[in-house]
Amino acid sequence: MKKECVAMLLAGGQGSRLKALTSKVAKPAVPFGGKYRIIDFPLSNCINSGIDTVGVLTQYKPMELNAYLGIGAPWDLDRSDGGVHVLPPYVQEDEKGSWYKGTANAIYQNLGFLELYDPEYVLILSGDHIYKQDYSKMLERHKAMNAACTISVMEVPMEEAPRFGIMNVDKNDNIYEFEEKPRNPKSNLASMGIYIFTWSKLREYLIADENDPDSSNDFGKNIIPAMLGAGEIMTAYRFQGYWKDVGTIDSLWDANMDLLDEDSGLDLYDTDWTIYARSAIRPPQFIGPAAKMTHSLATSGCEIWGEVENSVLFHSVTVEPGAQVRYSILMPGAVVKKGAVVEYAIIAENTVIGAGAHVGEPPAPNSEEKGIAVVAQDLVVGDGAVVPSKAMITENIKGVEA
Amino acid sequence: MNNLHGIIFAYGETPDLRELSQPRNSCSLPYGGRFRLIDFSLSSLVNAGVTDVGIIVHSSYQSLLDHVGAGKDWDLARKRGGLRILPPFGYATKNRQSQYRGRMDALAGVYSYLKTIRQDYVILTDGDMVANLPVEEAFEQHLQSGADITSFSVPSSISAPTDTNYFQLDEEGWVTDILVRPNSVPEGCSVSLGSYILSKELLMRLVDYCAAHDIYSFSEGVLLGDAGKGLKLRSYAFDGYASSIKSVRSYYIRSMELLDPTIRGSLFRSDRPIRTKEQDTPATKFGTDAKVVNSLIADGCVIEGTVINSVVARGVHVAKGAVVENSILLQHTDVQEGATLKYTISDKSVKICAGRTLSGHETYPLVIAKNEVV
Repeated sequence: MKKECVAMLLAGGQGSRLKALTSKVAKPAVPFGGKYRIIDFPLSNCINSGIDTVGVLTQYKPMELNAYLGIGAPWDLDRSDGGVHVLPPYVQEDEKGSWYKGTANAIYQNLGFLELYDPEYVLILSGDHIYKQDYSKMLERHKAMNAACTISVMEVPMEEAPRFGIMNVDKNDNIYEFEEKPRNPKSNLASMGIYIFTWSKLREYLIADENDPDSSNDFGKNIIPAMLGAGEIMTAYRFQGYWKDVGTIDSLWDANMDLLDEDSGLDLYDTDWTIYARSAIRPPQFIGPAAKMTHSLATSGCEIWGEVENSVLFHSVTVEPGAQVRYSILMPGAVVKKGAVVEYAIIAENTVIGAGAHVGEPPAPNSEEKGIAVVAQDLVVGDGAVVPSKAMITENIKGVEA
Repeated sequence: MNNLHGIIFAYGETPDLRELSQPRNSCSLPYGGRFRLIDFSLSSLVNAGVTDVGIIVHSSYQSLLDHVGAGKDWDLARKRGGLRILPPFGYATKNRQSQYRGRMDALAGVYSYLKTIRQDYVILTDGDMVANLPVEEAFEQHLQSGADITSFSVPSSISAPTDTNYFQLDEEGWVTDILVRPNSVPEGCSVSLGSYILSKELLMRLVDYCAAHDIYSFSEGVLLGDAGKGLKLRSYAFDGYASSIKSVRSYYIRSMELLDPTIRGSLFRSDRPIRTKEQDTPATKFGTDAKVVNSLIADGCVIEGTVINSVVARGVHVAKGAVVENSILLQHTDVQEGATLKYTISDKSVKICAGRTLSGHETYPLVIAKNEVV
């Protein structure tokens, strides 16, 4: 059935900058904020914005992500018409199918899916951003400007602008130039990687792009510049609020810590814009008689007997007596045994930190880098072992005899 | 396993729950920070592979309906079978009482439903019992033993429902004597948990017999009375935690028992999870000055003050300087700055204004009714 706007969520990236955290899962399935996975944010934004048809383009390690999405019930996206669709690459006629070559190619390969819903507009989203946004307001602007493409932008500090794709706009916020990571930026309006296209236009440019053998089939590198070059109406939509790309270990750690900050601008307790997630079936968390639990987040199934501060704990985490956890992220099922210390670290799912072990260390004073240590999922760090800052642990570590 | 049908009794009235039972039936009483009492019986059945469950209700069941919905959170929203809520259809026309007088009366009230049961066996259980029952194992024992009725029971030494039936057992678990609500309990008795497994055929026979003879109680009419004469009654000895909540005092004691890791371990097993309605609450946030000791805290709370020996449900706010001790705070209780609560049970959405001091006693906890502002 015809839909006004269909969302296409790019969730196939390998997330190689998240290193050990994406050794078994795709980046959008990486846990975030105690209760969520990264993909919960764009999915919840869709349903809260009135978009009930979402294609999720998967490619890299899709198993856990597919299982997590299921039929979309946690996001109210289990629909008889529309709902969530997982779209992996597939073999096409004459065995011409291939992996998704780029973001634009991923959408190109699914033109058939879009044609099924024959939308007026297509919303392109990524699976590695933490933010709350009402896409319906962006769509309103797109319609009002009669644009071919609307790009969500936010103001960033001028000195940080060279790290982003920068949109140069006229007085009506129409885009006349796009510069990828400019050395001398002319504006501080950074692209958030969120696009609304008029479907007929997008279709035209995707087909042309596919026929260009020199194209890298990417929205930022190819489609947007081609549309600008052809003089299409391209408009910027100014987003205000919290937005963070969590594509690196430091930014993922930062974004989790932002949840502890009253003034970060990311409020997950706002019932008007709930972020939905598939939740674990666990009893409430227990804080033990000698435990200390301050300035932290924690969720169902946790058993806290030791000391936890400035940290984010996912479900079913155990912190044994005498253990200390500081400035760290402990993903579901992580266990910190007696007397162990975990600081400035990310411990992935079901990993056990042995008794008396020490993982991570505080950053040097005045250091820009946080030096977060990461231990991948399903590992054991032996009793008494020491894991230095910035370590990226992907194999079990033997214990040290006391 | 798919040859067992679940019937949950959720019709009882429990006046001793005082304010807590005003907005609801005891089966939908919030418990343990995020559950309702009925979650335990429903989950026990579902975890044993039971696919069809009927819940017999009579009055004030709106909150129960709200909670269980179509049964989705228990995987019971099904095209065939699944969850059925059974109000007293056509009951009033037969000149009966305004309330079921007992289980046989209740079963007769849903007679047309009983006839449609697809399974050969039925488990009857109370909706307000707190236990994670190994129903699958008990059902296997029932089939192997050749018993007519298998009853779940626990040794009378461990905490258990009171005001119930006691069994004298022989060495193989056969019931040799039944004591219905005795004044004193002899040594070595087992306590019935009021959950019974029997064949559908026998159940129908008993319901027919009892309806024709105006027998309304399962205990007196079937276990002790003529209807059950000659039936082989066996006990399944359950060694986990079981309790029944019928009064404010038992609600308080049973809630506080959850702070014991052994009891939590018996109730919340990862191989038989207790399912409940999902509420999409975020993680709980502990403030810089938070002090939390020996407490159970559900998701979606903001704890900035002190919480000691307490059970705190979803979405509760404890502001800076507030002290909550030996208390039970139900969903969305708002304890404002500097307020002090001791031995208090606050129902849903209660607001305790800044600086207020409230205190009950262990033997008589203070109950603040739903939506009240102190």
